This record gives sequence, structure tokens and C-alpha cells, in this order.
Amino acid sequence: MASLSYIEAINRTLHEEMARDATTFLIGEDIGIYGGVFKATRGLLQEFGPERVIDSPISESLIAGMTVGAAMVGCRPLPEIQFADFISPAFDQIVQQLARFRWRTNGTYSMPVTIRTPYGGGVGGGVFHSQSNEAWFMNVPGLVMVAPSTVRDAAGLLRAAIRSEDPVLYWEHKKLYRSIKDELPEDEEFVTAIGEAHVAREGRDVTAISFGYTHHLAMTAAERLAEDGIEVEVIDLRTLLPLDTPTIKESVAKTGKAVIVHEAPKIGGIGGEIAAVLVVGSLVLACLAVAVVGTVAWPVDGSRGGGEGGQLVQGSRRLRGGIALTFLAVAALAVPLRRRDTFDVLN
Amino acid sequence: MTEETNRRRRGKEEAPPAADTEATLAEEAPESAQEGEYETEDVAAAPAEGSKGDFLSEQRRRESLAIDVTRDFPDKYRLSGAMEGCSDEQKLELFERLVKLRLFDARMRKLFRQGRFEGTYYSQIGQEACDAVLTYQMKRDDFVGPSHRDLGAAVGKGVPLKFLTAQVYNRVDSPDGGRYTACHYWHPDYGVMQPATSIMMNWIAATGAAFGYKMLGKDNVAAAFGGDGATAHGDFHEGCNFAGVHRLPIVYVIQNNLWAESLPLHLTSALENLSDRAKAFGFPGVSIDGNDVLAVWNATRAALERARSGEGPTLIEMKTYRWFGHSDIDPADYRSDDEVEAWMAKDPLPRFSAWLEDEGLLDDETLGGVVERVEEEIETAVDFAESSAKPGAETFLSEVYAESYPGFDVRAGR
Repeated sequence: MASLSYIEAINRTLHEEMARDATTFLIGEDIGIYGGVFKATRGLLQEFGPERVIDSPISESLIAGMTVGAAMVGCRPLPEIQFADFISPAFDQIVQQLARFRWRTNGTYSMPVTIRTPYGGGVGGGVFHSQSNEAWFMNVPGLVMVAPSTVRDAAGLLRAAIRSEDPVLYWEHKKLYRSIKDELPEDEEFVTAIGEAHVAREGRDVTAISFGYTHHLAMTAAERLAEDGIEVEVIDLRTLLPLDTPTIKESVAKTGKAVIVHEAPKIGGIGGEIAAVLVVGSLVLACLAVAVVGTVAWPVDGSRGGGEGGQLVQGSRRLRGGIALTFLAVAALAVPLRRRDTFDVLN
Repeated sequence: MTEETNRRRRGKEEAPPAADTEATLAEEAPESAQEGEYETEDVAAAPAEGSKGDFLSEQRRRESLAIDVTRDFPDKYRLSGAMEGCSDEQKLELFERLVKLRLFDARMRKLFRQGRFEGTYYSQIGQEACDAVLTYQMKRDDFVGPSHRDLGAAVGKGVPLKFLTAQVYNRVDSPDGGRYTACHYWHPDYGVMQPATSIMMNWIAATGAAFGYKMLGKDNVAAAFGGDGATAHGDFHEGCNFAGVHRLPIVYVIQNNLWAESLPLHLTSALENLSDRAKAFGFPGVSIDGNDVLAVWNATRAALERARSGEGPTLIEMKTYRWFGHSDIDPADYRSDDEVEAWMAKDPLPRFSAWLEDEGLLDDETLGGVVERVEEEIETAVDFAESSAKPGAETFLSEVYAESYPGFDVRAGR
């Protein structure tokens, strides 16, 4: 069995699902002739033709919004937003049409639409090619968001998303595209269930909750802490919306401490949301230690530079290097039974 | 922004808030609501001299003119010519749909003033020919993307009135079970999409439907409706541009009623004819009298044929006018009475009925039958809505997602 990279897993799954379902189509910028700016859609135009692989004009609102009508007449659209940083013109269509359409029509129409978009920093992309802006969409019931961190989940979550009747925003991490490899199951029906977080490593002392690239930082930190006898339970969220709160709560009820790690700024972020899930309405859990690791409140989360101040860049690098996480996990352990909504290691 | 519009805007801001009932609306409406001095007076400073009676009687006068569908009009607006490919039966059926629209709309306005339903009402009176004549020609499973004032899109396509009254009243028998928004008419069985209140979302969606038809090899077509103001929105351009590139089977209709809510056309666009915008997208654009049923029929018929035969989109600008405010809590004091009167004389209904008379298709007896049938359907539809239950809040908790997720609990709020 050949080993595939994360982006190859995405590409292969698109090939398989488009071959399986003739109502699927791709639409996005530079996805056809060019095969995508990262080559995630390489070969699809050749296999499925220009009728089903649409090189779109630079019209993100159209890319997202046209899927509503296409889905209503029987298609299963697979739009791509070239960079997550470019998703804002499509925000209206995603939030006010796609995510609400089923509810608005009292269940008459589902929106089986999977929007793929590359996000995340660490590739030197600068201000408009580095954001982890998934939290922009956290306040949108009716929308589903997944963010695979492994090769298997890149395939499994994509397949599940394409086959889902709900609109799914699929966040693929740029830094993972070619940095990890794994074997995929032979079974073409292999899916990763949406809505279910994965306990990637069991531990008793502290729970580290993350997704995407930072999940790998959490795993690295867990290994280093294990050398000191600290057992970290690592949860890979896989699905960001709706969050798998039962799995998160169950783990933290066991370990008593939680460290939530993501690339985005902490303000209004997923870390804060998970912290709220853990401490609000639970007298027991409210006594626990909760820390959130994210970037400082600057606009270029995850960027490897971008011309901002050296100190901030340094802070971001420390986060990416996993040092901050390690420090935090220890810090959280060192102050048990003391509630902390935000623990800012970067300042 | 000019000094004039500045002053007007200040005036609007200082004016009383929009009222829920005709009583407050009429009492507090600025003088210009009655007098039509929309841009020369500082309306905020003007005392509300117009009495409740004046405002209401003017509204009622317009309504009574509106439902007199065979009244006299200036000779220069008399229609001549033919409706290509339209049988006599179709002409009369279409006429009945237009009468239905007109009487339904006038009736809803009255019911709103009586407080029989909440929210507001978006009157279409004056614009009926623009959407109904097109959708009447479409197949039932063709796609219609209406805007918020497109009662005619639904009635033209044959949606029974009872679903529309249920939508106006937001009752459980509306297609969305009363959970969505009043007056946003739609019905899945008739291919009429649920309009979004955000301008132009329907435009983009209809473009997607047209793409879907083409990709799936279906011979259906789509139609999308928007107003003059909507042509300034980015989605107008993104949708048209894509449809032009891919020669999608779609008919785009701009109902230019000169006012984008309170914004006059010259502040929306520097163009005289909005169909000129089509040149930028590489497909034909045509501007017609949207109150001329014959012209609308012939232009939309050609555009539908073009779409269905794979030749691509057409943009049709229909010049028309709404007789009343943006919604029924809008006194429309930004317009002059002269302007309104001039357009009321171009009412599409008397012009079409006179033409049908000239053609020997309509006489008093036929008209009597039409009105009788329409009034009966309206009464039945009103009874249907008023006897339909108001939805309980708990019914709104369903259908957030199609699938189930272990962490999602709609009541828990996450």
C-alpha cells in the first residue's frame, strides 16, 4: 500500500467521490487547467471535463452562492475557496444562505455542499495567505466545520463531508499538505464520522485539545512530557462545529485540566468556546484549570513574518515550535484547582 | 451627497419611527407624505398638517383605482400589436392571474391596516406585469428566483393563493410552517425559490440553478428578478458575468421602478437604460415598458426560447413603478404625487384589458366571471390563513441540521 501525503489524500478522495456521484462538481479559482494553486485538484479536469470542473472567475460570492441553486436542482457542489483569507466575500452566502437554508425552508431543501479551503500559517505566505479564520464561522448554527489533522482524516472527513446532507466547511491545513504521509485504508467507503472528536493519545494528567497543525504540536508536547512522567491526553477535534462536547467533557472530567491550542488569536476563538463549554454550567468542572494557547491579538496569526514587529513574530514562532505548549501544559499542572480562562504565555 | 439629500436624510431621521398601524403612521407622517414635496422642504421642520383622513383617503383612492382594472387611461398608452405564440385561452388566463394579483394585493393592504397580521406588507401594485407574465410561461419545474416584491412570480407560476396568504400571515400552512418571513412568497412544488431578504442572493442562486440544469443535462431554465437598486450589488455582476461566460439558461429581469427603497435611480446608476449593463457580460440586454403586457410577453418569450435553446442569458430591464411605499409602513414621502399620478396612468391592467376588448376576447360578462372567481379564491385564501394555526416556538427548533451530531443540542445553544 502506497503512502500518501495529506494533499494526495484529498486529491484521491475528490477523484473517487466525483467518479462515484455524477451530480458532484468542482468550482473554484485556478482549480482546473492549473490543478489548484497547491495542486489539490490536479487531474480532475482531465478526468471529469470542463462541465464538472469549473475554473471560476474571481468571484468568491458566486462560488459559494451559486451552490445554493445548484443544490436545489439536484447537484452536490464542491466549491473551493483558494485561500481561507479570501473567504470573506463569500461569507454572506455561506452564513445567510447555505447554513440557514434547510432551517428556513422547514427541512424542504438540504444543502449538501462541501466548501474546501486551505488555511493556516507556517509557509511564509504573509498577511493574506496565513490566517486560521475558522472562528469567524463558529457562531453559525446550521453550518458544519471540519479540520483534519491527519492523512487518514483528510480523506475520511472529506468523503463524509461530500456525502453529508449538511453544508460543510472543510479546512485543509497548508503546512500539512506535504509534511505528513500515511497509508489509507483500501476501502473506498472509508469515512471519518463528522461530529466526533478523536482521543489520539490517552493520558490521566491533563487534556490537550487541538486540531489541524497544532494537533501535531500537542502530540509532540505529550511525548516530551511523558519523559517527565506527565501523561497528556490529546484530543484531535476533527470537527469544529458542532463541537463534540461529550468527548471533551469526558476527558477533562478525568484529567481535571485542559489546554486548548490553536493558531488563531485567542479573542473570540474556538479555545474560548471550549473553555466556556468546560466551565459554564458545571460546578465540578468550573474548579478545573483551563488554559488557551493561541496567538496574540494581532492580525497575522500563524504567519512566518509578514513585516510585523520582531517580538510578535518571535512569539508566533515559539507557539509553532511547541515550546509554548509544553510550558503551558506544565503551568496548568502546576496550578491545579485554580480556574484560568486565559493563560497568556506569549506576553 | 448633496445638501438636499443631506437635509432630507436628517429629516427622515428626526421623523417619527415607522409605525405599526395606519393610525400612527397617518397622524405622524410628515407633510410631504400628503403633498409630495419630497426634496425642497425640510420635512422635519414641517408640522404634520396632513390629517389622518387626508392620508388615508389618498391611499384608499389609489386602491380603488387599482382594483378598477378596466378604467380609462390616456390614449397614448393604448397597446397595439400581438402576443407571439399566445393562444386566446392563455391571454385570458394570464389576464385572470394579473387581476388576481391586483385584487389580492389591495386586499392584503386593507387587512394589514386592520391589524389582521403582523410585520408589514410589500405591495406590488403597479409592477404585476413584470414577473407574472414571465413566470406564467415557464414550466412548473423551471426555477424562479424571486425578490421580496415578487408576488407575481408565484401567482404567475400558478401557486394557489392560500399558500400566499399563509405566508403573509406566517401561519403553519405556509410552505415553511410559518417560521420564515412574511410576504417572502415561495413554494417548492411550483419551482419558486424562497427569496432572501438580503438583496441579490436569489440572483446568485438562480444562476447556480441554471448551471445545475446545464450540468445535469436538463432542459429547464431559470429566471431571476431584481430591482434597479440591486444592479449596484456585486452579486448582480458576479452572477451575470458567470452566466455570460458559461451561456447559462437563464433570464435576468430588472424591474426598474425608479426607487431603491428611498434611493432615486440617479443615485444608483449613471446609466439611462440599465439593460446597458448586459454589454459588460457579453449577452443581450433590452429595455422595455414593463407596464405593457404585450411587450413583456414578447421580450420574455424570446429570452426564454434563447435560454432553452442553449444560446445563453438575456437581461431585460422593465421600466415600471410601485404605487405605494417600499412596504406599508413607508409613506413614500420621497416621491412627488405628480410622479405617482403619471405612472398610475400607465397602469398595466387597464391597458391590457382594453387590448383584450379590442381583440374581442374580453367583455363585461367575461370580466365579471374573472372577478367573481378571483374574489372567491381570495376569500377562501384569507379564511385558510386566518384559520391556520400560529406556529409554536418549539416547532422552530427542528431542521437546523440534516444529520445528527453527538455534541449538538439546539436547546443547549451549541
